[in-house]
Amino acid sequence: MKPALPPRATRGRSLKLLTCPLNGSRNISEFTYGGEYHATPNHLTTSARDWAEHVFFHDNAAGVVTEWWCHTASSFWFLAERNTITDEIIRTFKAEEIYTQRVDFSTINPESRS
Amino acid sequence: MASLDPTTGMRRSQLYRRHINNKAVFKNTGYDFVVSHYDNGNDQHTELDQARSMAICDLSTLPRTGFKGAGARSWAENQGIKIPDSANRSIVQPDGCLVATLSDQELLILSDILAKSHQVTALGEQSTNDHLENDTQTYLLPRGDSHCWLAVTGNQAAEMFSKVCGVDLRPHKFALGDIAQTSVAKTNAVVIRQDLGQILSYYILCDISAAEFLWDCLLDAMQEYAGSPVGISALEALVSA
Repeated sequence: MKPALPPRATRGRSLKLLTCPLNGSRNISEFTYGGEYHATPNHLTTSARDWAEHVFFHDNAAGVVTEWWCHTASSFWFLAERNTITDEIIRTFKAEEIYTQRVDFSTINPESRS
Repeated sequence: MASLDPTTGMRRSQLYRRHINNKAVFKNTGYDFVVSHYDNGNDQHTELDQARSMAICDLSTLPRTGFKGAGARSWAENQGIKIPDSANRSIVQPDGCLVATLSDQELLILSDILAKSHQVTALGEQSTNDHLENDTQTYLLPRGDSHCWLAVTGNQAAEMFSKVCGVDLRPHKFALGDIAQTSVAKTNAVVIRQDLGQILSYYILCDISAAEFLWDCLLDAMQEYAGSPVGISALEALVSA
């Protein structure tokens, strides 16, 4: 017997919606997916392997994940918690919840890098 | 009235070929040339009636600018600008220009349709000077060459928009001064409700490269309401009526 399909966010609706924290509820076609959210490692102390992991690789986890999304009409980037199994959006929120202050990158001395 | 040649101005609208083909008569606002009216056998009073029911007007050569940055809001307030309390709202200033908040850190400034306001030019110069002298975290975001600016007027405008836009722009849902940054005819656009006189009206700003596409789409959508292009003289008459 086939297992029952999980409920999908779009089931029973003709339109899939996403709520932008700035602009409100909009058609999903107004948004662009921006990849998984991960805390940025300190680029001065992290290893090359960990930095490559952060930049290029994804967890691709089954379950609730945090993702970057962009409302393309306003170029507004925000975060969404989404269940990748059910495609349910749990909540969306502004990046200011995580980034409470301006991020400045100090330069590294090339000679100090081994 | 002898028409000016739009190709002799400092700047021209991306739509100027459409206007010429439609027998536009241009006039100088003091900044650049705009369509005064269309010489298609109708008098200007007819264009006023058209603007009251369903019309589109190209305002792309009128002054506009913007500011962005963590300090943009407080900097603008220090310049005596009234800023809306929340994002996606707009306020008309005492001199007639319109200030819109596109986010907590982004402002859009549009001149009045008579181009009497000098705020756009003055604020642009001031922000550059202030930024050079002190780090105000306010960055000039010129909008004159990035976006086209259209006005859609008329009591049937909201109904027409329902064909091309997913956001409910009906007047009882979308208040005066409200802003929707959304998709209009599959084109990213900023829609601002800014009634002209007593007539329901919307400003639309979209990427300047999509100006001709959006102009044609809106004209197509308003065809069933007998909508047509009007010159800025009809809008000026709406404001002063």
